[in-house]
Amino acid sequence: MLHNVRDNYIISVKDHVSQFEEKSFRKLASNDFKRWPSPREETWRFSRLGVLSRKEITPIKPNFKKQISSVSKFKGSKIISFVDGAFREDLSSKLPPGSSLNILGEEDSLMCFHKFKNSNLKNHPSTNVSFSCTPSIVKLTIEKDVKIRDIFEIIYEGGDNNLSVHPALYIELKDNSSITIIERFNHLSSLTMPLQLVELRKNASMNSLKIFNDNQQSYNLSANCTFLSEKSNYNSFSLIKGGLFTRSETHAYLKGENCNLNLNGVYLSSKNQHHDLTTAIYHDVPNCSSKQIVRGVLGGKATGVFQGKVRVAPDAQKTDGQQMSRAILLSENAIANAKPELEIYADDVICAHGATVGEIDDEQLFYLKSRGISEKNAKQILITAFLRDIINQSVEKSIQNFVFEEAELALSEIISKEI
Amino acid sequence: MSLLEIKNVKLKLDDKDILKGLSLSVSKGEVHAIMGPNGSGKSTLSYMLAGRDGYELESGEVFLEGQSLSDMEADERARSGLFLAFQYPVELPGVGGMSFLREAVNSRRKFLGEEELDHLAFVKEARKVASKMFVKDEMLKRAVNVGFSGGEKKRFEILQMAMLKPKVSILDETDSGLDVDALKIVSDGVNAQRNDDNAIVVITHYQRLLDYIVPDFVHILSDGSIIKSGGPELALEVEKNGYAGLINAA
Ligand SMILES: Nc1ncnc2c1ncn2[C@@H]1O[C@H](COP(=O)(O)OP(=O)(O)O)[C@@H](O)[C@H]1O
Ligand SMILES: [Mg+2]
Repeated sequence: MLHNVRDNYIISVKDHVSQFEEKSFRKLASNDFKRWPSPREETWRFSRLGVLSRKEITPIKPNFKKQISSVSKFKGSKIISFVDGAFREDLSSKLPPGSSLNILGEEDSLMCFHKFKNSNLKNHPSTNVSFSCTPSIVKLTIEKDVKIRDIFEIIYEGGDNNLSVHPALYIELKDNSSITIIERFNHLSSLTMPLQLVELRKNASMNSLKIFNDNQQSYNLSANCTFLSEKSNYNSFSLIKGGLFTRSETHAYLKGENCNLNLNGVYLSSKNQHHDLTTAIYHDVPNCSSKQIVRGVLGGKATGVFQGKVRVAPDAQKTDGQQMSRAILLSENAIANAKPELEIYADDVICAHGATVGEIDDEQLFYLKSRGISEKNAKQILITAFLRDIINQSVEKSIQNFVFEEAELALSEIISKEI
Repeated sequence: MSLLEIKNVKLKLDDKDILKGLSLSVSKGEVHAIMGPNGSGKSTLSYMLAGRDGYELESGEVFLEGQSLSDMEADERARSGLFLAFQYPVELPGVGGMSFLREAVNSRRKFLGEEELDHLAFVKEARKVASKMFVKDEMLKRAVNVGFSGGEKKRFEILQMAMLKPKVSILDETDSGLDVDALKIVSDGVNAQRNDDNAIVVITHYQRLLDYIVPDFVHILSDGSIIKSGGPELALEVEKNGYAGLINAA
């Protein structure tokens, strides 16, 4: 049979499904993956996947013997290791009491699948492909009333050229529990499609830090679906610095009153990198707040995208929704696209948003220069501060310095070329 | 030789004449006050001296210790010993006060051929000067000018002046927005730095500040040029009769 090269990946997904342990959701998912999103689809307009459909990629078969020494970057953390998209107990730490990791069976996996398919991530390519080809869906549970003191560090690595990787993680925080989780994406693969489902039960609280640092040839299409119950608290920060093409898409559903969401992020982009932070926040009930700060620094021929949708349902009175995005372009050839999108159907709400794309503020620059600081140093100080400021505002104190150091490395690479 | 020599400067902003042939000569050990109503060009003069982009001269020239400023960027001018205390100090979110001061001081020291201060020595020095300005340590840990009250911002400006030890300081409406107590602290800070080797140009709308920082000379700026110069008594005349009388007479 003769196939158009564009169909290659779709066919290999379908072929691949049969290689995995049979699960009902795999077939359903693979049938739903018909093509890569076209640039005519509104949310993929700024992030075109055309190049993927021209590549010959095959879903990876995880090698459970692959020896990778998953190195913790955060001192004293509990490591959870995924290699080639598969959970590796042998490389992971023993978890503290009140927390557990399980591989989901048929029924629970199907439930996860349906949660994604009932969300607006239903047509995201990662939803369909990764549910088809994930080695297994792994669940992290934090039990009721348990406050985890240790920081959990989830490391996703492995992969290989022209293979796609499909980790799938379901995190459930039961009533009154709390945890801080750092996730690091460090694949060598050409395409990673992580799935994450987060459910925060009543009064649960989660700090989430995601660091996207796959290698320079990689694609990462991360899809995250988060549900917040009454009085829960989700504080999420994404740092996108690696990969050739990284898109982190998060949909958050505020389902219980008095819950609170922070969905912040930074992208640091140079060379020909394409970085995309896409978010959708659904205020479905009254009295919740959501806050978003997104910042980008771009050099070279890089492209940055921020798409932030906030939907306030008719019943969601007293919603407080804030969104602010700002990108600094250090090179004439860099591009930043910002698309805030507010859909407000309730009348008694406070919603504010602002998006700016531009250069370094010249008043600030003049102030520093007027103190004898050279233009080069002044610019460095201001851009570093631009980052420091959002990190201090967004990230829990105990990991602020860690995040800053992670960001600074990428930043100094951009700065050294442009300033 | 004068420390600061402003020679018949003209400057346009947005094609509008703002400074219209202004001259002023300031020598070592002197304090000059420039008084003028709102919109007379006081801040424009300050920015021009400090070397802000867009404030290049149409004609005329400025010399600092005999050296022309026309080819010097703002940072070079500052390192050479020119200081501007801003009317509206700029907020720098994410830039810690202490590291900002250190960067500034070390830039100047390097220029002067002095050794850069190490962290500990610097912190000690900064704390000493800060306590004289009633600037709390806690303020130095915060981001520069972010969330500072009007008085705190002005105190922080004078603290920077004290740390940088400039040859010529331009204080642009350092009194605006200060209550009497704050005015006293700021003025004491400025007075403590008067010496025979430097000079201070105090720019103000009101006479009040000049009760605390007593000038040797007073100049009236109106519509982009100095229309009258005299001693401290000129300030009292402004206080009594307002600017209108002086401007009409000129
Ligand atoms: N960037 C600018 N472009 C055009 N005109 C300006 C600009 N900045 C100030 N001006 C004008 O220049 C004049 C002097 O302003 P300024 O120097 O701020 O006065 P002062 O500090 O004495 O109150 C005013 O008429 C003001 O409107
Ligand atoms: Mg002014």
